[in-house]
Amino acid sequence: MDVDVDALEPALLPSRIQMAFTLAYHVLLVPLGVALPSLTLLMEGIGIYRKDPVALKIARRWSVVMAVQFAVGAVTGTILSFEFGILWPRLMGRFGAAMGLGFAIEGWAFFLEAIFIGIYLYGWNRLRPRTHFLLGLVLPPAGLLGAFGVLASNSFMNTPGGVTLGANGQVTDVDVMGALFTRALGHEFWHFLVALYLTAGFMVASVYAVAWLRGRRDHYQRLAFAVPFTVAALLTPWQLLIGDLAARAMAEDQPQKFAAMEITWQTRDHNPEVVLGLIDDQGEIHLGLSIPALDSILVGYSPNTTVRGLSAFPADARPTTVEANITHLAFDTMVGLGSVGAALSVWYLWVIWRRRRLPDSSWFYRLAALAGVGAYVCVEAGWITTEVGRQPWIVYDTMRVSEAVTDAPASFVWSMLAALVVVYGVIAYFFITLLLRLSARWKREDLREEAPEVGVPYGPRSGKFETGA
Amino acid sequence: MPDLIAFVLLLAITAYSTAGGVDFGAGIWDLMAGNSPRGREARALIDHAMAPVWEVNNVWLVLAIVLTWTGFPILFQQVFSSLYPLFTFALLGLVLRGAFFAFRHVAEEPRAHRIADVVFGLSSLLTPFFFAASLGAIASGHLVPFSPMSVAFGLVSLAATAFSGASFLVGDARRYGAPELVVHFQRRTVVAAAALIAVGTFALGVIWWQAPDLLRSMLAGKGLPFALATMILTPLATFLIWRGIFRWYRVLTVAAVGSMVFAWAFAQSPYLVPGQLTISQAIAPPPTQVLLLVVAAVVVLVIGPAMGLLYYLDQRSALESPES
Repeated sequence: MDVDVDALEPALLPSRIQMAFTLAYHVLLVPLGVALPSLTLLMEGIGIYRKDPVALKIARRWSVVMAVQFAVGAVTGTILSFEFGILWPRLMGRFGAAMGLGFAIEGWAFFLEAIFIGIYLYGWNRLRPRTHFLLGLVLPPAGLLGAFGVLASNSFMNTPGGVTLGANGQVTDVDVMGALFTRALGHEFWHFLVALYLTAGFMVASVYAVAWLRGRRDHYQRLAFAVPFTVAALLTPWQLLIGDLAARAMAEDQPQKFAAMEITWQTRDHNPEVVLGLIDDQGEIHLGLSIPALDSILVGYSPNTTVRGLSAFPADARPTTVEANITHLAFDTMVGLGSVGAALSVWYLWVIWRRRRLPDSSWFYRLAALAGVGAYVCVEAGWITTEVGRQPWIVYDTMRVSEAVTDAPASFVWSMLAALVVVYGVIAYFFITLLLRLSARWKREDLREEAPEVGVPYGPRSGKFETGA
Repeated sequence: MPDLIAFVLLLAITAYSTAGGVDFGAGIWDLMAGNSPRGREARALIDHAMAPVWEVNNVWLVLAIVLTWTGFPILFQQVFSSLYPLFTFALLGLVLRGAFFAFRHVAEEPRAHRIADVVFGLSSLLTPFFFAASLGAIASGHLVPFSPMSVAFGLVSLAATAFSGASFLVGDARRYGAPELVVHFQRRTVVAAAALIAVGTFALGVIWWQAPDLLRSMLAGKGLPFALATMILTPLATFLIWRGIFRWYRVLTVAAVGSMVFAWAFAQSPYLVPGQLTISQAIAPPPTQVLLLVVAAVVVLVIGPAMGLLYYLDQRSALESPES
């Protein structure tokens, strides 16, 4: 099928916006989707082991949040899989046999999660505590598997491998392992997985940091704060290390993206590290703080290391100036906030280690209350870095975004985007309303006992069924 | 091996048509129930009966799509490049349905609650209609989104989901000991079955007109056993429900709807798009096929039992809050 690329251009912009919008939305649901089950099980385990009813109560409440947010994620995830066809039919038409493999594996994970979240949420009453806990243990590996599948596919887009291409660019042979485990997978997987766990930890803990600031200081608050925050604090320093490895691998494997992240224009040694700042079409840097030779040192441990710049690549094979600036600012945001998070973690671990108790400084809790949102900003920024930085490629150095886009008229895609924005807005409104309501009810409920799932629209068993009412 | 993968894909589509169909059918009856006291009771049952498994059904859909793009990349590209409007409407239905199912639990004002009910019900019509319409467009061999074939398939799907939804709601009403609702949904099963038979006959006429080859192999070729099965099982299941013989009727309902999907798929095999694209033309390279079969085997070996466990616990009412 002959394709006139120019004729496809119109739908390109709305398709990119739609994909960015729906993915940015979905990625917000991922940290709690993948990591909250582990935190919940940890809490349940503590409750069973120490015979602590408070821990069990916390675990049960978290499981409700987990289920509601899984339901939203299931819907937005289904939309995403269809968008591959509606917006980018040629991507899968050409690379589906290789890139689709990761998604096939993710399919298992989705199955297992959907089944076991149902069992876990609705099994609190009737299953024996140990049975309930053991059935729940399926959830963390399922989340891990799902993350692996999606990241294997994304890594394929960043560093394609394991495929033999025919004369017309069609995939003629696939090396399954090579296509699943491409070069980027190693660091992408660990970087993202750790990000999910520490984001979930900070987010959950931040709720109880707010409770501390409002004066709640009981066993419930301490436990619900300490468990997730400890998980996050133990992981954050590692994330700096993994991130550093990832950046260095990027300099090697995806030089255009790395040049955009660091807004490097000329290929050179003694390359400075630019903090913030913007680059223009002539390669001039405006604003920002330039630290001499630091970029070269970070990449190759020596100021003499040569780092490739944007101008080393043809203009149509590297991010545009605007894209480079977006990538750079997103990258700096991620690194900056990540460093603050690491400092906060060290503060926390120091207090725990030296004084054997939780911090009692209001400033600590103010920062901890912001850490949840900060971690989410980091996740978004990291995602923007890798996706915008890959432009103009949908499969790095192999297939352009403009080659993959749909034939649908732009007006169609714009309309679909408008409808999705409205519907996603409605979903966000319901989701937040619901969480606030749950929180309010749980506060009331602490005065008078009531089962946490009551009134939750996750599923069906929530409402009381009456006949002849 | 390519045929086996096509068969796995067919199984995923069938699972979504039957399990998802029951779910969407319940949504259709929810819409029809109206706002009378009896209607509200019926809706309360529907709400309650959409078991804790309600989003497991989405998984079949995702599985089908993943199998298509990995196993038959060219089919995926062709189908989505031409039929995107159908998929967009189906998806819209899917999101609205999920959102408003949740919303009607949150809504406190009666008016907002009523709006949520209506949107939920209407979106339950959109999704089965448009997904089936896309199958109709494929079956016609022309991949044109809006054609007599796509409309005919869409209508059959609506009738089939209404039928299977009502049949399963009879079972739910029995389980929760609501005899008036049993009668309520018994009647509706019969009405839906009549509609299904009428629309099905009409659809056969449309196929005869638009794709005579497909009809031939449906009624005189590989599709025949399944076409016969659906023609026998639909009235049989309806008869059992009508006479109040509450045994096997749900299995027969699923078999009737499943056979219908099989009849279409087997009739057009070995074509994925009749006259245009065969299974062997579209299949991915052999290593990918092997991996897909491994994936399918794991689904059967690991996820099968897990799903069994879910249904088992659900049926034993091990998954309920103390209040319900």
